[in-house]
Amino acid sequence: MRKGFAVLLLAAFSLTLFVGGALAEEVVKVGYLAALTGDWAAYGQTELKSAQLAVEEINASGALGNLKLELVPYDFRSRPEDAVNAVRRMINQDKVVAIVGANASGVNIATAPVVNQAGVPQIGTVSTNPYVTMDESGKVRPYSFRVCFTDPYQGKLIAYFAAKDLGKLKAAILYDVSSDYSQGLREFFIKSYEGYGGKVVADLGFRGGQDVDFRAQLTEIRNSGADVLVLPNMGKEMALIMKQARELGMSDIVFVGGDGYGEFMWEIAGDAMENSYWINHVSPEDPAMQPFFEAYKKKYNDECKEFVNGILAYDAVYFLADAVKRAGKADSEAITKALAETKNLQLHHAVITMDEFHNPKDKDGVVLIAKDGKGRFYKKVRPE
Amino acid sequence: MQTLLQQIINGLSLGSVYALIAVGYSLVYSILLFSNFAHGGFLVIGGYICYFMLRSVGANIWLAGAAAMVGAGVSAILTERVAYKPIREKTNITLYLLIASMGMSIVIENVFVILAGGRFRALPPVIPTSPVNVFGVATTSMFDILSLVTAVIFLSCLQLFLTRTKWGLAIRAAAYDLRVAGLMGVNVNRLVSIVFFVAGVLAAVGGIFLSARYTLYPQLGLITIKAFIAAVIGGLGSLPGAVVGSLILGLAEMLTAGFISSQMRDLVVFLLLIITLLIRPSGLFGKEVKEKV
Repeated sequence: MRKGFAVLLLAAFSLTLFVGGALAEEVVKVGYLAALTGDWAAYGQTELKSAQLAVEEINASGALGNLKLELVPYDFRSRPEDAVNAVRRMINQDKVVAIVGANASGVNIATAPVVNQAGVPQIGTVSTNPYVTMDESGKVRPYSFRVCFTDPYQGKLIAYFAAKDLGKLKAAILYDVSSDYSQGLREFFIKSYEGYGGKVVADLGFRGGQDVDFRAQLTEIRNSGADVLVLPNMGKEMALIMKQARELGMSDIVFVGGDGYGEFMWEIAGDAMENSYWINHVSPEDPAMQPFFEAYKKKYNDECKEFVNGILAYDAVYFLADAVKRAGKADSEAITKALAETKNLQLHHAVITMDEFHNPKDKDGVVLIAKDGKGRFYKKVRPE
Repeated sequence: MQTLLQQIINGLSLGSVYALIAVGYSLVYSILLFSNFAHGGFLVIGGYICYFMLRSVGANIWLAGAAAMVGAGVSAILTERVAYKPIREKTNITLYLLIASMGMSIVIENVFVILAGGRFRALPPVIPTSPVNVFGVATTSMFDILSLVTAVIFLSCLQLFLTRTKWGLAIRAAAYDLRVAGLMGVNVNRLVSIVFFVAGVLAAVGGIFLSARYTLYPQLGLITIKAFIAAVIGGLGSLPGAVVGSLILGLAEMLTAGFISSQMRDLVVFLLLIITLLIRPSGLFGKEVKEKV
């Protein structure tokens, strides 16, 4: 039966190839939720441009047969309340069958009740908080998806990289007690790290936004004999920590951090940044992403500077397109089902498989290495 | 043992920077009997002048440092002229001065938010930070040693100024009684200006070291709350008290963070303040006064 279906599909496929526009085109309306104005405008503009590029490529390739993707962009002005209105209008007025965006956990959490009630699937691009796809009672939100990995998974990636790739089995961790992000990463790091045979020899906290002197904690870390220092924090504090550690003569300890990495940290930490490792979603130097950057530059005559947003928005559209292809029709229910069943899908930046909580399972993380004043592509890692 | 020594060195270096700021607080307090909360603002002014001299003008650290000190000193004089002098001449209730100083600290902070923006700025690496081994038992950075040495130099200069010069004598006299000093022929307005200038210069030195270590931002002045506590513990108005109080505070912070928990750090600091106020309200070296705010 299944085989028969495949043959049929193939036949339909080749038919479209031969006959071209003879078959009736069916339009698949996809809402795109982007911050085109406000604080996140730079991210949102890049996302929408990247998504449009993906839609054009997919439609031109004919991969979807008689289905044509059509993007319906909405600006949510960097505000969750506007996002809720935008999503309502997409669903009620424009009758979209799926939504891609937004790029922030808070926004996706705000729009989740709307899309889940209406039964329209939504794919977050850089929304890493677990609650984007899971409700407060710990149940999966049936119509919420994401293409990036989650914060807990990032903790696991850091642990895997430190223990298995660097072979450092004595870790110190210095985290921000006032940040959920930092505490969450720490918790999941420790859990995974011990599973990989590592031992956390120093586990110390500080208060983000207030503390600027970390020498007391660093002295303790030095005495603990740790060979790797894990920094699950935001940029400024990590930069100060690294600088002060090197000043205390801790020249051998290796720094490993998460996606809080920012280029501005070089200004604060200077040479102390050299050879530190940073787990991230994507890298601008990833060889697999070069065709995207070239196409982007050609189409918009501009560099894709917000590359994390650009790449994830681009691949979120490809992720959706694959589900539309398997669903075979412009129907929200069928597309949602196909999205949830996504397995070993080769996107440009990674291979993704959806887990039961609609998060990419065992996704590749990119490791950046800080060298000569820049974060450079080091390698991709996937935990075992 | 080695850890203890290390934390003591860390504590002394932190305390020495607090001392530079605390001395400024105490100096103003000893003359005008109010806590100048705009003092943190002078520190920020010094930090930003140094930053822009280094980054935009391309000056070396000596020139930038000198400009920062003069700039902060002059700003301190101006602050006094604009905000405190009119009050000082109308009333002798120091509470109004205290409130004016809080207002000035908000003004200075926001001027920098508007002019320079709220982002963190890092001074170019003009002060060496290479690790230095101390007698083979502990490691500290060149930066800590330099800040300790600088603090000692400036505090010694201040001591010389106060004991060996005519204006120093006048300041010491005014610290006993400003009005009587005025009656004895001291130009009180000029004396107050000199005191503010000196306080501003010391704040700028502290500001340069603080911003080199912790980056520069308009709210950096808030760190002076610690220096203020140190000045109170040592006894407001007493310069040796300010230095001793600062070192105690620096040590207490580092030892708490190192041996108990870094989250307990501020708890210990404020506990020290409360204990001091309960047992010895005038501080370790303070003279008895009726009001202390």
